[in-house]
Amino acid sequence: MTLLEFARGPALQWSTIILVLGLILRIAGAWLLAHDKDYSRPRVDAAWRGGLRAVFSRFWPHQPFVRQTWFHILAGYVLHVGLFVVVFLYAPHIAFIRDLTGLNWPGLPANLVLFVGALTAASLVAFFVRRLVHPVMRTISTLDDYLSNLITLAPLVTGILAYAHFGGRYETLLAIHLLSVSLLFVWIPLSKLAHVITFIPSRFQLGAWLGRRGVKA
Amino acid sequence: MRNDLSLSEVLRQQGVSRRGFLKFCAATASMLALGPGMAPVIAAALEKARRPSVIWLSFQECTGCTESLTRSHSPSVEGLIFDAISLDYHHTLQAAAGTAAEAAREAAMQANPDGYLVVVDGSIPLGNPGYSTIAGVSNVDMLREVAAGATAIVAVGTCAAFGGLPHAAPNPTGAVSVSDIIKDKPIINVPGCPPIPVVITGVLAHFLVFGQLPELDGLGRPMAFFGHNIHDRCYRRPFYEQGKFAETFDDEGARQGWCLYKLGCKGPVTYNACATAKWNQGTSFPIQSGHGCLGCSQPDFWDQGGFYHALSAGTSTSGVGLGVAAVAGAALGAASALGTRSSQHEARREVEQIVNSQPAAAGCARGGEQGKK
Amino acid sequence: MAVDEKDFQMFREGTQQLASMAPPSTMPDERRVEVAKTTMLAKLTADMAFELESCVHCGQCAEACHFYQATHDAKYTPIRKLDLLKRVYRREQAPLRWLHRLYTPDVTIDDLHEWQELVYDSCTECGRCFMVCPMGINIAAMVNVNRQAFANAELMPAELRALEMEQGSGYSLFGMGPEQVEGFLTHLRDSGVNVRMNESGVDYLLLTSVVEIMIFRDALLATIRVLEHLGLSWTIHCEGYEAANFGMLSGVEAVQKVAGDRVVRAVKASGAKTVLVPECGHAYPSLRWDQANLDARGQDFEVLTVSEFLGREVEAGRLKLRPIGKGKKVTFHDPCKLGRHSGVFHEPRVVLEALGVDFREVESSQELNWCCGGGAGVFLLNRASGLRQGAWTIKQQQLDATGADSVVLSCASCRLNFMNGARAAHWDKGIESLVELAAAQLAD
Repeated sequence: MTLLEFARGPALQWSTIILVLGLILRIAGAWLLAHDKDYSRPRVDAAWRGGLRAVFSRFWPHQPFVRQTWFHILAGYVLHVGLFVVVFLYAPHIAFIRDLTGLNWPGLPANLVLFVGALTAASLVAFFVRRLVHPVMRTISTLDDYLSNLITLAPLVTGILAYAHFGGRYETLLAIHLLSVSLLFVWIPLSKLAHVITFIPSRFQLGAWLGRRGVKA
Repeated sequence: MRNDLSLSEVLRQQGVSRRGFLKFCAATASMLALGPGMAPVIAAALEKARRPSVIWLSFQECTGCTESLTRSHSPSVEGLIFDAISLDYHHTLQAAAGTAAEAAREAAMQANPDGYLVVVDGSIPLGNPGYSTIAGVSNVDMLREVAAGATAIVAVGTCAAFGGLPHAAPNPTGAVSVSDIIKDKPIINVPGCPPIPVVITGVLAHFLVFGQLPELDGLGRPMAFFGHNIHDRCYRRPFYEQGKFAETFDDEGARQGWCLYKLGCKGPVTYNACATAKWNQGTSFPIQSGHGCLGCSQPDFWDQGGFYHALSAGTSTSGVGLGVAAVAGAALGAASALGTRSSQHEARREVEQIVNSQPAAAGCARGGEQGKK
Repeated sequence: MAVDEKDFQMFREGTQQLASMAPPSTMPDERRVEVAKTTMLAKLTADMAFELESCVHCGQCAEACHFYQATHDAKYTPIRKLDLLKRVYRREQAPLRWLHRLYTPDVTIDDLHEWQELVYDSCTECGRCFMVCPMGINIAAMVNVNRQAFANAELMPAELRALEMEQGSGYSLFGMGPEQVEGFLTHLRDSGVNVRMNESGVDYLLLTSVVEIMIFRDALLATIRVLEHLGLSWTIHCEGYEAANFGMLSGVEAVQKVAGDRVVRAVKASGAKTVLVPECGHAYPSLRWDQANLDARGQDFEVLTVSEFLGREVEAGRLKLRPIGKGKKVTFHDPCKLGRHSGVFHEPRVVLEALGVDFREVESSQELNWCCGGGAGVFLLNRASGLRQGAWTIKQQQLDATGADSVVLSCASCRLNFMNGARAAHWDKGIESLVELAAAQLAD
């Protein structure tokens, strides 16, 4: 079995299984913990509306926070929009998803994705550096944070290298890229990267809690 | 035909002009990635070269490689070069049959004690020698016997080079490649299903000119022909860069000649000269005809998850598998939560006790009952 | 209408003595750790689990926190205050606990001592952090879980321990017992104020607080004046008159429950349909949101805070106020517990509008308002005075930027902290009570 066969075969197979199993495990395992009923009288009925609102409204900070959190807004948006573009709008990646789900949609030109990928990688480097130098981030950072950063960076770098045919034969670079993706898939449910999905219930519950009290999250 | 004629003499007897011969030499030089200055060298060498004896062994094969060579290129110069070698044994092409044919092989081996060239097409079954025999001799035995006196072996076609189709999972015959059996002879792999004819002739020409093997890649393939992947030389590559892909074989993209990546083209990981040398005298190649590259010159090309699976798709991933994973995740999550909720239940009882033991009195401020609750 | 400086001074000195009045705790350290962990485990819910699962350690919560902004000390990063809770969750409840246990250290007594400052001194549970958190983590609510754990382990600061024990074991607070309260109310009645006591069959049960009786008597008088002006049936009841809940602030559930139960009994005894909470921040959420859950029987009475009550009466057209005029430039401070935690934003502004003043919103107002720095009992902690003053400076800058001459408040805790902060900073703007302002402008 060549490296590429391993990467396309068992590596992707098991890493996607771990990804799905792990994320569902984390959501189900948290969801099925105690839900204590709130007996107080709600100020606003249908608290779920507040929850739903918060899921979307927290994509952008409230105005007074914008100046203070500019770094996170800028780097965060580059990172997340960049990842979205690279993951969901690059044809070979769409083909991967189509193979699994049957869903298909048009992609973007490769050079544009390459550029976005490079920006995305740069944002991760920026986050890494800030994590090292900013007192707050350094204080609250754990190994998880640094590893998550690097493991997210890896597919971007290997993807760019594979695209550019730089540093080895294409099948080797592609195999390394796919292996780095597999590593990311395995890492997501084990780490803070599970926020790719847990951000939804997390935001929802605060929005619902506040919404019930007549406060907009 | 006399074996002591030089190649150029044979070619002239065949009616190939000097001009045509030099053109072939120039083309060969270019194909072998040699400078134009090498064309006269090739011409000179070929002119002097003696016709080598060639024994062509066909094992588990479909005759496609032979068909490709003989049909598509006669009466080209490349085809004629086969007349220039002394093809002393070839199942399909020789006139002799049965015992006489085998006798020809024996004779060729004995007549060339200094060595001869062996060309093999087809894979060799090791599972049961009876799967493929010639005159009662198993393929593996015949290969070993003939290879013993060979100068070099050319494994023509993917079956001989890498096991090919017979080797595909679950490989019922236990098929292997030539290089899996023969370890002590120079082997040139010329894979392809079938290989490009000019690649075979080019390799033979190189061998005749330089008397040695051309530069080979890690899979024993001549770098001159297998040094670049199809993708890098593909005329549809700009569409890949622009993100323009055919989604089906009959959509607008397909009609516009857009990139076939999403239809499973294996061009990016397939090393061959198809995109440059092309087929049928430079007429076309699979991608040009609208079908993605199958990767036929690569090992195990049958087992790469399907010809119409995009290269970026997993070969073993499945939606069903992920569905099962999701259900398993939910079950494990439920088990996890149930496990911890029982301990939380304990904790809540304990905290209730702690709270109840905390001193807290209730009662009316006006001297009512004040005591431990 | 002014606060008697002498009363305030006495109260300040009194709070400085609080710590010495707390009986020492003799709980062994191992037991403290066990109790703290058990409490955290007991209190964790699915909501909190999602939040703890989602933190990406971005640190933006620090930007929202007045204590971090005042000190720029990273240890005050809000989410860090939940580290112990997070560790307990990860080791005991998280779906991947088998994995987390390999590298997540267990909670030790040293951790508890270190975190005491973080969950008490440097957090007013104001919740501004959860407004910035991109994951919507309710840090304030979880800090309160921490407080409950610390309280059960008898590790709360001495000041709060003294007060919760005083409130839990008897009826007094700050040394003021029922006799003193009753005496004061009788004195009021004698001086012509129509104080209704222990009546039944009324609509409104009015709560007060010893802080009101000791310092902010005018606020109580103003509330009574409004109630009388509106001709409502109301009473103060001996079964439960105290709004403040030091059980809630310190994290001692038993005391929180007892203090709440007293109010519930007073509701029953008086037959009131509505409990009127005085200008006291934490008392409102304690009764409005927590009490029904401590009871687990629900709640068959309404809870209104004074500013909310006033706003509703104005909006309903029952309460008419004489405009003060635009010459008076005021801003309003939304108390965290009434605003961000309880949604009382609109009503106080209705009152200010009716008063016709030149009202100026602070930047970052309402649910994003900066905490004064003294809430959740922090005002009472001697060792937190530096932190408090730092936070107050932010508050002061925020107020100054409006150009208002005075700030209107609807929370006594805030008011105490404002007065304290203003005194230290020589800040000369007015600090006024909303109900006092309104009561002075009652129109016929």
